[in-house]
Amino acid sequence: MPPKSFKPVQPIWCPGCGDFGVLAAVKRAAANLHIAPHELVLVGGIGCSGSIHNFLEINGIHALHGRLLPQAIGVKLANPALTVVAAGGDGDGYAIGMGHFLHAFKKNASILYLVMNNETYGLTKGQPSPTSQIGFEGNVEPPFHAMLTALSVPAPNFLARTFSGDPKGMTAILEEALKFNREGRGFAFVEDLSPCVTYNDTYKLWREKVVDVTTLPGYDPTNRRTMFGLCLDQIEQGRFPVGVLHRPSAAEREGLEVKLMGDGPGPVRASSDLASNRAHYEKLLAALA
Amino acid sequence: MPEPRARPLELADLSVMIGGQGGDGTLTVSDLLGRYFRKRGLYVYTSRNVLSRIRGGHADASVRASRDATAAVKAQVDVLVAFDQQAIDLGRAELASHGFVIYDSTTFRSDLPNAAGFPFATLVGGPLGQPIFKNTAAYGALSVLFGFDHTQTREVIEERFRRRSPEALEKNLKALEIGRKAALEAPGVAHRFSVVDGEAHDLILTTGNQAVALGFTVGGGRFFAGYPITPATEIMEYLQRYLPPLGGVVRQAEDELAAINMVIGASYAGARAMTSTSGPGLSLMTEGIGHAATAELPILVADCSRVGPSTGQPTRHEQGDLSHLANLGHGEYPRFVIAPADPVDAFGMTVEALNLADRWRVPVILLLDQALSQNTTTTRRFDLEKVVIDRGPRLSPEQVAGLAEYKIYGFSENGVSTWAAPGTPGVWSEVTGNEHDEWGHVSVDPVNRRKMMHKRMEKMQKARDELPAGRLFGPAHAKVGLIGFGSTSGPILEAQRLLESRGVPTRYYQARTLYPVPAHELDPFLAGVDVAYLVENNYTGQFARLVRETVPWHHAKLRSILKYDGASFRAPEIVAGIREAA
Repeated sequence: MPPKSFKPVQPIWCPGCGDFGVLAAVKRAAANLHIAPHELVLVGGIGCSGSIHNFLEINGIHALHGRLLPQAIGVKLANPALTVVAAGGDGDGYAIGMGHFLHAFKKNASILYLVMNNETYGLTKGQPSPTSQIGFEGNVEPPFHAMLTALSVPAPNFLARTFSGDPKGMTAILEEALKFNREGRGFAFVEDLSPCVTYNDTYKLWREKVVDVTTLPGYDPTNRRTMFGLCLDQIEQGRFPVGVLHRPSAAEREGLEVKLMGDGPGPVRASSDLASNRAHYEKLLAALA
Repeated sequence: MPEPRARPLELADLSVMIGGQGGDGTLTVSDLLGRYFRKRGLYVYTSRNVLSRIRGGHADASVRASRDATAAVKAQVDVLVAFDQQAIDLGRAELASHGFVIYDSTTFRSDLPNAAGFPFATLVGGPLGQPIFKNTAAYGALSVLFGFDHTQTREVIEERFRRRSPEALEKNLKALEIGRKAALEAPGVAHRFSVVDGEAHDLILTTGNQAVALGFTVGGGRFFAGYPITPATEIMEYLQRYLPPLGGVVRQAEDELAAINMVIGASYAGARAMTSTSGPGLSLMTEGIGHAATAELPILVADCSRVGPSTGQPTRHEQGDLSHLANLGHGEYPRFVIAPADPVDAFGMTVEALNLADRWRVPVILLLDQALSQNTTTTRRFDLEKVVIDRGPRLSPEQVAGLAEYKIYGFSENGVSTWAAPGTPGVWSEVTGNEHDEWGHVSVDPVNRRKMMHKRMEKMQKARDELPAGRLFGPAHAKVGLIGFGSTSGPILEAQRLLESRGVPTRYYQARTLYPVPAHELDPFLAGVDVAYLVENNYTGQFARLVRETVPWHHAKLRSILKYDGASFRAPEIVAGIREAA
């Protein structure tokens, strides 16, 4: 009998919240890939969506607002054997956490960043977020399109967008993203369109306006230029492109943790005890003159 | 024309200040002199005063060589080496009455009486093709001025330039001879001074920053994330060399927010993790440090303080972060602030800090200051024998398997919970900065909140006897007390010797744990003296304030000696401060 561990609690989300779809898809994807609870670490942001780790039987960390990516990258670099997911909302990722968001593409650590985008700050009761449409709660700033930014960074990342109204499609994409991470290929970014039923109920609009990019003529997820153009066209027509937007053509292990440590031990498993490193230390100290 | 001297003036404690434009090679002259004096068995302490720019602008360096162990800048300059007029202007006030100036007369003339000008740039420019060798020529002239042993003088050049290229070595040896020849031909220069031999052999020359990096490495530190900031950057640079061969990771993050949070993530995953920064970065990291304390994740933060606030004087010395560290952040949480006094202390204390962080599952702040971080000092070799690694209540997979339940925040007698690194089969947990129950579930229960506050906050009292103990110097009967921390210890110890020679015995308490304020050490110390001078490099007397608050019954005995001009203390300033305050 293993010891009794953390038991998930009931989600705090409003009935019908898009985040339920994400929770279900994460569970299914992890089960399909046979990831044991102790192998999975989920770093949550601040906001409704960032509480997702409380509802799962896994290792959870609740990060500071906007800082889930550096924490998740720290976990992965310290122990590359863990499967690491960072999950939060659009305010957490694209406002307070924007600096880390941009650098995560370039760092390319093999973690999954899952943003539940509801175009509002739900937990603080409906203020406009970086992705809010013009006119929402007096918003006059144009919405930020994370996917266009993601496509503009030339790094071997896996990029996709999903919709909570299509849990099956989301599960398949999350599975592919986690697999990508577990093979050490690099950073996976998945933005889920996850409506806030209380402050910004976009289910109806999104059901009508999502477009599966794979059905578009010229779809080529290995070509950033093409995908940027396809997405921009759709956005300009008021539509919401979903599906895999970028998938590196070569199956190379480009993850930061692989670049830094190869298949080496990683800091946690690297020996930090004195005895086994003594000769090395003595040399280091003897070099001081 | 300088007056010829009958006999060389023998110096057992000397200081040479070298000033010029950035890029003139003042640091090279300082380095060459330091190497030479060490060959003579002297203790060496070097400091530098550079502007926050890569090239140009005035920069100076000073080298002190002494028969007695020293870790302070000498108040008076015996020899000033000037590559520009500014060096003369700045050095004038500190020049001893017997002081002498060697300067490059290519571009200016010195108006000081005891001076010899040599057109170093022109002298080397012709035969060597480049004026940049003027610094080595100046070293040659200095070797004549001090009557250096010629063989040892050349050895220094060989040791320094051998690794560059045969051509660099050859040209520098030529520049040395050019400088020597010029000085030998000038009246009143040769052997004006002589240097005694010392007994300081088999010592190393190092900085506080290098000591921290080495302490972290041998203490089992395997993860570092930081962001470049003067005067902390060298810690990251050393670790970039030390850690990767051991399987460790060093990352330069996009900002200090990322650095501290990467460290938190790595600590969560079970690595010994650290960051280093200075004031502005510390401000950005503050939210993260509070998070680590509440989430009960051990982290180590080295703060190498500089003149603040804001950009302040980024390359200059100050001890102005202490109040911030003692009150760090919003809300209330435990933290240990410990301050080494010298590189040997910094090495040992970094290992101790890692152990404290792991044993108590708290953030530990290692407080350095610019002088300790960057000035070089000869010191005894770091001792591996004293290094002990204690990872605290960490459970092995076998121990975990034997548990009935795995509570990440389980209550215990000392407030510290046992834990296992994530990935340990069979268990998982929830780690959070939200108030939580023993399982990590978010909790707003008032009874639980009180219990958790006690669990965390009482670590500060319970750890008391494990925190670095202060050190006492000077006779126990002395009625005049001195209190200080960090690099200020060097000038305080020197001031003690000056005072002793004038018949004023003093007792010095070197605080090594600053927060929680060690009342158990301060109380008996203050009870034993009639008056105590708190010597610190800040405007408001930050440590004095903490001491007053902690042992208010000794209030009337406390005086402050403060310096906040960007430079470290010179021993006579402390002596003068005592006279003024008395």
